[in-house]
Amino acid sequence: MKSFSQVFVAALTLLATVAYAQKQTPPAGGKPKDFKLPEKKLNTLPNGLKTTMVQYGAIPKVTIQLILKTGNVHEAENEVWLADLTGDLLKEGGTTTMDFKTISKKVAGMGGDINVGVGSDQTFITGSVLSEFAPHLIKLMADMIQNPKFPESEIGRLKDDLKRNLSVQKDVPQAKAQEKFLGTIYANHAYGRYFPTEKMLDSYTVDMVKAFYEKNFGAKRTVVYVVGKFDEGATGKAIEDSFKGWKEGPEISYPPVEQIKTNKVAIIDRPNAPQTTVIIGLPTLTPKAEDVVSLQVTNAILGGSFSSRITTNLREDKGFTYSPFSTIQNNKGVSIWYEQADVTSANTGESLQEIAKEINKLQKEAPSETELNGIKNYMSGLFVLQNSSPGGIIGQLNFIDQNELNESYLTNRVQNIHSVTPDQVSKMAREHFKYEDMTVVLVGDKKLLDKQMKAHEEAKKLK
Amino acid sequence: MKYSVLVIIVFLTSCGGGKTNDPNAFQVPVEYYKLPNGLKVVLSQDATAPTVCVATYYNIGFRIEPRDRTGFAHLFEHMMFQGSENLGKNEFAKLVQQNGGVFNGSTRFDFTNYFEVMPAHKLETALWAEADRMKGLAITQDNLTNQQGVVKNEVRVNVLNQPYGGFPWLDMPQYANKNWFNAHNFYGDLKDLDSAKLEDVDKFFKTFYAPNNAVLAVVGDFETAEAKKWVEQYFGPLAQSELPGKPDISEPKQEQEQVHHKSDTLASKPAIAVAYKMPDRNTADYYAMGLIDQLLVQGQDSKLFQKLTQEKGYTGQVSGGINYLGNMYNYNGPMVWMADLIYDANVSPDSIVNVFDQSIAELNSITQEDVDMAIIKLRSDLYSYIGGNGFGRADLLASFALFDDDPSRINSLEGEFKKITLDQIKKTAAEYLKPANRTILIVDPKKTTTTL
Repeated sequence: MKSFSQVFVAALTLLATVAYAQKQTPPAGGKPKDFKLPEKKLNTLPNGLKTTMVQYGAIPKVTIQLILKTGNVHEAENEVWLADLTGDLLKEGGTTTMDFKTISKKVAGMGGDINVGVGSDQTFITGSVLSEFAPHLIKLMADMIQNPKFPESEIGRLKDDLKRNLSVQKDVPQAKAQEKFLGTIYANHAYGRYFPTEKMLDSYTVDMVKAFYEKNFGAKRTVVYVVGKFDEGATGKAIEDSFKGWKEGPEISYPPVEQIKTNKVAIIDRPNAPQTTVIIGLPTLTPKAEDVVSLQVTNAILGGSFSSRITTNLREDKGFTYSPFSTIQNNKGVSIWYEQADVTSANTGESLQEIAKEINKLQKEAPSETELNGIKNYMSGLFVLQNSSPGGIIGQLNFIDQNELNESYLTNRVQNIHSVTPDQVSKMAREHFKYEDMTVVLVGDKKLLDKQMKAHEEAKKLK
Repeated sequence: MKYSVLVIIVFLTSCGGGKTNDPNAFQVPVEYYKLPNGLKVVLSQDATAPTVCVATYYNIGFRIEPRDRTGFAHLFEHMMFQGSENLGKNEFAKLVQQNGGVFNGSTRFDFTNYFEVMPAHKLETALWAEADRMKGLAITQDNLTNQQGVVKNEVRVNVLNQPYGGFPWLDMPQYANKNWFNAHNFYGDLKDLDSAKLEDVDKFFKTFYAPNNAVLAVVGDFETAEAKKWVEQYFGPLAQSELPGKPDISEPKQEQEQVHHKSDTLASKPAIAVAYKMPDRNTADYYAMGLIDQLLVQGQDSKLFQKLTQEKGYTGQVSGGINYLGNMYNYNGPMVWMADLIYDANVSPDSIVNVFDQSIAELNSITQEDVDMAIIKLRSDLYSYIGGNGFGRADLLASFALFDDDPSRINSLEGEFKKITLDQIKKTAAEYLKPANRTILIVDPKKTTTTL
């Protein structure tokens, strides 16, 4: 029998060798080209308004963004979405000398639109126009933000729009899951107040909008970004001329926030839903933490990239889901990590178990150098891409400004990514990805889900 | 290996059309040639960032997928990531990511595309990988079963478990069109997806995935001589296939207005989409529709946005355009111009349609100034699209190579729009934007249970 098995092994080896020899190895490519972060010009006006200008690209367009350090975070408990209404009225209410239709025509003539977006920590006023119009767009945006009319005539319609959006969003399973997840971790804080009630929206008045604006808008909270191709002299002068008269306004100020750590499971019933929207996660390190890059690398290995372990498992192995992902979501001074996936209803418990298994495996066993290097290269490549468009460049610069990080966060980024070790990743998984500590939200068919919760309880005990 | 001399047709940018008097006008460098096996190759340098976009476009869209296999063109797109001779399952994605790149693929009306954006020095790696899967696949039944699961979950998350799922992008072609090729469910019935077999995959690949049915576009920071050498080295040896004749995808002329209702058990607000059949691609009417699209629905100054949101307050947002699954340049068959919005139940659909009629009627009194503004918006949009990470530019170059055998069209677009006169716009509006040429689709919200 011994001889037989030897022959068998030999044959297998031979086959393997032949197969291996036939497979081509992908060409490795050449030497990396130099990548330097684009140069920026900074300025601060006497009233505290900061400006950042970056010449970038070959396309004759320019992106201008005013980023204000205010948003939903400054709403009181009974003022949810008041920041959004303020943004809408700021935009569509026009200025003391120009209505919205006139503004729209003017910006269209420059080849663009002006949009106002309200986030939890920041408010964004954005326009992207043909290069030659940069100074004109600056003047228009400056007028909008300093001299809003906030007319009574428009507020009813804008409140109706918010009510309609509320109704639509409440039918979206992913939004329902976010509401519950953030509401659990940030209970009693604006970050956890995802939806207003209709009654709340009904109660908002122009005076409340004006008060929100007075309390939260001003030069000290504002950074003006100009990125693309533009006449620097004329644009810089336009910024100075049109913003120097603006009130200093309030200091930058964010209310204190506490995170609630709980491993509660919340099931939101969506009868007969073919899928369950799963969010599972917990508070994590902020961008200011010394080993935040280790955390980011660990996230990319676990669920933050297409080749990540959880994605490969749930999607490419099991076929339970289409678009699973994990992410680190930062707010002012606090961060959370979560994995989100829409999985087949019947496989919800099993999906949770597989997530637990992947976390557990990384906790027990450091990733191989090959796997880790792959992820490092991916993150380094992504960093170049993130700095290769006007919007991306603004995003990076705003990230370090908002999180009060040193310039070195960007300049040393590639180096910092490459210095993360396999053991650090495993340690990070042990300390900051404890499955048994995670908050779980499931939006799906409750009668099917209740039966599968045993799988989650077992997963919590996985050692 | 022997290679015959490449057949090279080079369009120098200075010879391209679309000369404008505008000193700010931007010209895209275009180099176009074909390999002896029929592969169309478009190169366009852009040294803005040390990155390169490699895009492969196959002349097979969901329109012409097999009749008993709805959704198969898209399912097949997933199979292109499941393994080839040299890269096993998951290895393609790993190869791209471990080399610092991102990738995607998509299935559209008239093509299926695959692209990577890589660090510039990884161009050879990307070209090798695209050639590798153009040469052949190595798919197992497990791979197929797995991706049937993934695609069914894709349909669930985007359509079946979503309020307004599939509205109007997936729905409208099915209501507006009469020819099966244009009017079937492109995402696929779940049972059709389930019935796909390995031999279907094999047959589909052999029929459509060949160099003589494809375009390779490379945009970014590369050396032309090097890029050409690699293209020849990796794609040159691939065999051509015998392509089937093109089926008749034409639509009968619409003579009567169509009004359809669709109930949505997951939604609580009504929605409406209004679609008009487009004129043929690249005609004067087509370019006029591009301008009309700008005037009617693109941007905050557009007629429909101003009337529906500001004047009437029916909605906060109006979407619209030519080809919801792409743009007005990247399709090659019957198409609609469409706009849609979500509104409140106290507004009647008729009053919304009246706003469409009124806006269209106003096209009769537009001025040259309005048209100039539309051209500025169009140019600005186009610049943003062909800037960026290279994909937008690759998309236009590949589409124009695939459908028109002329990627240099990218530089003559603005000139074509500028030729359109006020009279042409009025004539086009009268002929195409009339009730008899439109389909209205209304979503009736039928949400029965409230989730807390």
